[in-house]
Amino acid sequence: MAKVRKSRAASLIVRYLILGAWAVVCLAPTLWFLSIGLRPRVEIITPQPIYWPTWSLDAWWKLWEQWPMAKYLRNSVAAIFGSVLIDLLLAIPAAYSLSRYEYRGRDDIGFYILSTRMMAPAIVAIPIFFLFKNLQLLDTIWALMIVFAAINLSIVTWIIRSYMLDIPKELEDAAKTDGASDLRILWEIIVPAILPGIITAAVIAMIFAINEFLFTLLIASTPDAYTLSVALANFTAGTDGVIYNSIALVAFIAFTPVFLVVIAIQRHLSRGLTMGAVKG
Amino acid sequence: MQAFQRRPKWLKKWFPYLLVAPAVIYLLLITLYPGVYAAVQSFYAVKFGPWNPVGWANYAKLWNDYQFWGALRNTLIIGSISLALECTIALTLAFFAYRDPWVQGWRIIFLIPMLFMPSAVAFIFKLGFLDARVVSDILMGVGLIERNLAIQSSIWMSRALLVLADVWQWTPFLFIIFVAALQGQDEEIEEAARLDGASWTAIFFNISLPLMRPIIAVALILRGIDISTMFTNVHIVTKGGPAFGTETMSFLIYRTGFKFFNFGYASAMSVIMLILTIVIAQFVVKRAFVSART
Repeated sequence: MAKVRKSRAASLIVRYLILGAWAVVCLAPTLWFLSIGLRPRVEIITPQPIYWPTWSLDAWWKLWEQWPMAKYLRNSVAAIFGSVLIDLLLAIPAAYSLSRYEYRGRDDIGFYILSTRMMAPAIVAIPIFFLFKNLQLLDTIWALMIVFAAINLSIVTWIIRSYMLDIPKELEDAAKTDGASDLRILWEIIVPAILPGIITAAVIAMIFAINEFLFTLLIASTPDAYTLSVALANFTAGTDGVIYNSIALVAFIAFTPVFLVVIAIQRHLSRGLTMGAVKG
Repeated sequence: MQAFQRRPKWLKKWFPYLLVAPAVIYLLLITLYPGVYAAVQSFYAVKFGPWNPVGWANYAKLWNDYQFWGALRNTLIIGSISLALECTIALTLAFFAYRDPWVQGWRIIFLIPMLFMPSAVAFIFKLGFLDARVVSDILMGVGLIERNLAIQSSIWMSRALLVLADVWQWTPFLFIIFVAALQGQDEEIEEAARLDGASWTAIFFNISLPLMRPIIAVALILRGIDISTMFTNVHIVTKGGPAFGTETMSFLIYRTGFKFFNFGYASAMSVIMLILTIVIAQFVVKRAFVSART
């Protein structure tokens, strides 16, 4: 009996060593990068790395003085929320159709929507670049909005569809016998019932939109339409090289809201990330 | 309130199509149109001026282009190593974490890397490994290496750097999915097996793991899609070097199109990638998603 207990204790120690080690792997670079944002530039790239810097908020003030940060933030927020709104408007009816009706070609349509998730940005980059050039939308947040919405539409549709499939049919049948139209049922019964799913889909679309890099790089050729993701890649000052402390701060400006909403939807995260394949 | 429905019959039949149509049209515009455009453009030599028809010349050139095959190979090498590492680490962590009451609370720590923008993560690795050489310094401090790692002059070390960055950022993605899949499994089966004297490891490998195979497939496919389009880290950290050793397909297309303005040729590459994508989507992805749902 004593032996069993001993081996259990040993396996517990192994477990916490491994989990603890990975926690350090996750945290150490994060905290070190935060420290980069809070030190003067001269202490970043040195012959001998400085682990305990002189703390300063220089980079923070410079960020707002030297770069149109307010504009970058506004671009990001507008493009991201606009794209999520387009996604929800298109995806909720589409998901309703895919989950609630029987008709010919339904599964093929559903799979087509899913398959657009597999399109590599680089494949469509050139035609889309010329499309927006001809529409004179290059360098505008409208172009970003349209592209972000397209990237995320498949995910949003499939997540919402997965949540709709979980709703018992009786819920609708009762309303149907009362004579409510299909659209009213969707709006007044289904949407409120799957609100967590809709929020999850919106949050995940938001994260992917914040992360988007290649399209933004092509569409936004001047700072007029930079989002945070691309703006930080341009924090270079001529011959000075890369301005890492500003980059670090922008990284954390984008990180903080994502971190907070992910905490809020933690329970739904795995289901959202697999587009509904895992019922988390 | 209407007491009865007066909707005509044709509307009833077409209603579900009408609901799904806006989304489908939107996606067709943004995927089918570019696909056709690229297919047409791939038969032309396009710089900035007029389009000159060249027939199959772009494809013939592609066939003999060592950079194209190199990029395909690099994408496969970097992608498969990253994917294998991420899957192994995530499964190990999930195995230790999924029934642990403590981990519920601080699981969010494991998600942190995934919540950074990829461009930010690229700079974390560029600074830590290349510019500030913090990692070299630490490794020298503990006596593992003698002098600074010359990462930028070694193809394999540069590839390893891209792999590390991807593993650091995206192992959490697989971890959270695997944990959820394991937690969703019936606890009673495990309990019964344990009462029969089976060890934790035996239960995991003989019961839990086979049960979650469809979900592992879906998770790996989603991750595989993203890895195969790796661009941001290459663009920021290695620029495809040294000697094109870390140039991925996405980066090659971007460079051909938007640095050398060789749009026709870049479109030919896009078409090849598109065909590969469609084949993989049809034969692998469709299957995996169908089996995960049932």
